[in-house]
Amino acid sequence: MIIEIISLILLWFGIYYIVSLSLNMEFGYAGIPNFGKALSVLVGAIAVGGILDRLLILYFGVGGDFITGTTYATSMLNDLIASNPIVGIGILILAIILASILGFIVGAIFILPSAKLKEDYLGVTLLAISEAVFLICMYNLNIIGGYYGISTPDILAFVPGEYRGWAFTGIVLFIAFLVYLFFERLLNTPFGRVLRAMRENEDTVKAFGRDIMMLRIKTMAIGSAIGAIAGALYSLYTVNIIANAFTRVEWTFFPFLMVLLGGKGNNKGVALGVLCYVVVKVLLDVYKYNLKYTLNIPFEPVWLSYMLFGVLMLLILYYKPSGLIPEKPIITPPMKKKIMEISNK
Amino acid sequence: MIKVKNLNAGYGKLQILFDVNAKIEKGKITTVVGPNGSGKSTFLKTLFGLTKIYSGEIIFKDKNIAKVPPHQKARMKIAYLPQTNNVFANLTVEENLKIAGYVLDKDKVKERIEIALNVFPELKDVLKRKAGTLSGGQRQFLAMGMALVRDAEVLMLDEPTAQLSPKLAEVIFEKIIEMRDEFGLTILLVEQNAKRALEISDNGYMFVSGRVAFEGTAEELLNHEKFKEYSLGITAI
Amino acid sequence: MILEGAIIYSNLLVLLALGLTLTYITTNVPNFAQGSYAIVGSYVALTLLKLFDINPYLSLPVLFVVGAVVGLITYLALKPLLKRGASVEILMIATLAIDLILLGAIGAYSEILSQIVGSTQAKFVFANLDFTLFGFKGILFVSTFVIILLLIGLYLLLYKTKFGIALRASMENPSLAQTMGIDVEKTRLFSWILSGALACVAGGLLPFMQEIVPSTGDLIIISIFAASIVGGLRHISGALIGGYIIGLSESLITYYLSQAFGTGFLVYGKVISLIIMILTLLIAPYGITGVDWRKVKKMLFTS
Repeated sequence: MIIEIISLILLWFGIYYIVSLSLNMEFGYAGIPNFGKALSVLVGAIAVGGILDRLLILYFGVGGDFITGTTYATSMLNDLIASNPIVGIGILILAIILASILGFIVGAIFILPSAKLKEDYLGVTLLAISEAVFLICMYNLNIIGGYYGISTPDILAFVPGEYRGWAFTGIVLFIAFLVYLFFERLLNTPFGRVLRAMRENEDTVKAFGRDIMMLRIKTMAIGSAIGAIAGALYSLYTVNIIANAFTRVEWTFFPFLMVLLGGKGNNKGVALGVLCYVVVKVLLDVYKYNLKYTLNIPFEPVWLSYMLFGVLMLLILYYKPSGLIPEKPIITPPMKKKIMEISNK
Repeated sequence: MIKVKNLNAGYGKLQILFDVNAKIEKGKITTVVGPNGSGKSTFLKTLFGLTKIYSGEIIFKDKNIAKVPPHQKARMKIAYLPQTNNVFANLTVEENLKIAGYVLDKDKVKERIEIALNVFPELKDVLKRKAGTLSGGQRQFLAMGMALVRDAEVLMLDEPTAQLSPKLAEVIFEKIIEMRDEFGLTILLVEQNAKRALEISDNGYMFVSGRVAFEGTAEELLNHEKFKEYSLGITAI
Repeated sequence: MILEGAIIYSNLLVLLALGLTLTYITTNVPNFAQGSYAIVGSYVALTLLKLFDINPYLSLPVLFVVGAVVGLITYLALKPLLKRGASVEILMIATLAIDLILLGAIGAYSEILSQIVGSTQAKFVFANLDFTLFGFKGILFVSTFVIILLLIGLYLLLYKTKFGIALRASMENPSLAQTMGIDVEKTRLFSWILSGALACVAGGLLPFMQEIVPSTGDLIIISIFAASIVGGLRHISGALIGGYIIGLSESLITYYLSQAFGTGFLVYGKVISLIIMILTLLIAPYGITGVDWRKVKKMLFTS
């Protein structure tokens, strides 16, 4: 039991860390209040359910409607993967590539109508677009099966059932680590510093000849591509997609909570924030019925968790606005050299 | 009326005023002059509580009011007219006058509006118009009229003649004199048009770099060598 | 018939957008919890109906008071942040948090109520309780009546009372209002109380035209923001104009699209609001009331 819980915690840590890292770049570094973060995760699900699944249906020549088609196509593929693990890994890589390309495009388009707006209008617009796409995916069953849901391939069909969880956790953690390295490198370049400068004062950045709109588009494109990877991983892990899972609370609000809890603008702090949240989330998920019956709560524990996390967010904003590990000032190599010189004197 | 002792103030960490001492006499016009950035407007804002005071005292009626928030100073009959945005553009002239008497009771407001309209008869024809549609001069009249409605004892004016034609500026100066003589108002004036302002004033202060450079009666200031040089633009102070 | 539904929807949207605009003007907070305020109202009305057999129309005054309290609590929760001068992003996150707390509370309450009543109350409508008059639904008259009452009330308040003039003065220029001796804090408090109250009243009427679930608030918030933004977040009248534009177009355009392309299009109502909102932001970022119409006229005239 405990082993399973640890595996679950690590898995969720990996998925949420990927999402939070991308949000941290958008919000923590660039200051874009992306209240539509959930859209990028949903795009990852679309890449897997809407594109990959369709390709499979075509490949295997399955007839009938889309939703049942996915069931047949994925089970055929799973048989293939069970006998040949390379196929599974190939499908994983394909899913990630599809998700990041689609995420990149959607992210760039997503910000277009609002690239010139002030923070408040920007946040509202992003939230509204994300929510509208979510609604369409929910009620239009032809995209990713809507509230009925569709099957996705089991890329680990070759792994015996009892080890699947751990194997998938390993994959997710590995990818999360790669994403972390990617952001650490990206944000320590002049690009990362311009993003921070944009957050503090757009006019200064303009004065240095940088186009704010282009910066925002780049940021959102990269951020959404990474968010989509998390969405794809999540869809492959659960072996099915139900549109209801991609809510604003789950994939926008909670990532914001994790980023702010850990410390925005600091990728290591965000890791701590994600870990704190994920431990609480998984324990609540696993023990929710024990909790319900021992405490005699007359309603579903999910409502209680909403209230708790909402209050937690307010408390962070009141008492720890810069998070558990606050952002560090930027020190570039030339600056480091200068500091050394001064301290040596 | 108002005594300022060793006042240090500014915006956040940026100190603008250094160790200012001043005395504003009751029923007199006191003018503060000085070059741009000398802190004369900040001085007015500080007296009204719109800046950060680090140390020093502002004594009004034997009380230190340095820490009193602006909306309560309004209730203590101190009126401050900012240079711009000194009327509510979306409200009619009548509503502006009414809102000026916010802290007074109903009958008193009516009476005060009557008085204000007598001093500024120009406003009578435009009572129903939105203040945002008024000309610059009318707007200044309204702002000063609002100070009269408030039944203020102290009136602080921040460059009331800025951006007005010389002819209109002259009318404003006449109204300021009228407000002092008819109603015994204590007036503190900040002006770019230093020479003309001092001519109608009783006392004057000259600010340079956030400090009082010299003080005296308006006449003394007008005849002071340094002031002559400054107003002729011979030396930059 | 379709126009009837559109007018009812627009009326309710106006009630909701008005509150959103009001608190945005006075405190600069874009309130994401506005939709959930309404659902609080819906469930209070349901409770009064189920437990005390009070017709939802009669419970509107109670909803007004409950909403006022919810608005007040929200403001008090935001106040530490406002005092600190927190950025608008932080304030938005705070209202998202408050929205989540409300959602949790409503969801939990709906299940508690189900246990008390003995049947599930997670989904409900009031449409079966409505009366008809001259062949029209009662809600058409009631919601229109509420709007008229509100407009008269607001007009009298804002233009005929001292507090109202002070309120308008504080909205336009809070620091100047302070120099007049107006306690600007009071006007902020008032705007949040009124905003909550109006939203809750709208929430009591909403179940007459659509099914309510605990998360309905998260759905209607898009339309509310669209209405306020299209009308212009800087003017109260913007909420009125925007509410009718979004309400009518969301209902009518979707209806005609579904006539042409099949009923599948009925779910795209929110997409219509979204598109109108984005177009407005691109053409006139400050909404219809933010446009300098004299300038536009001049431009058209000269060209």
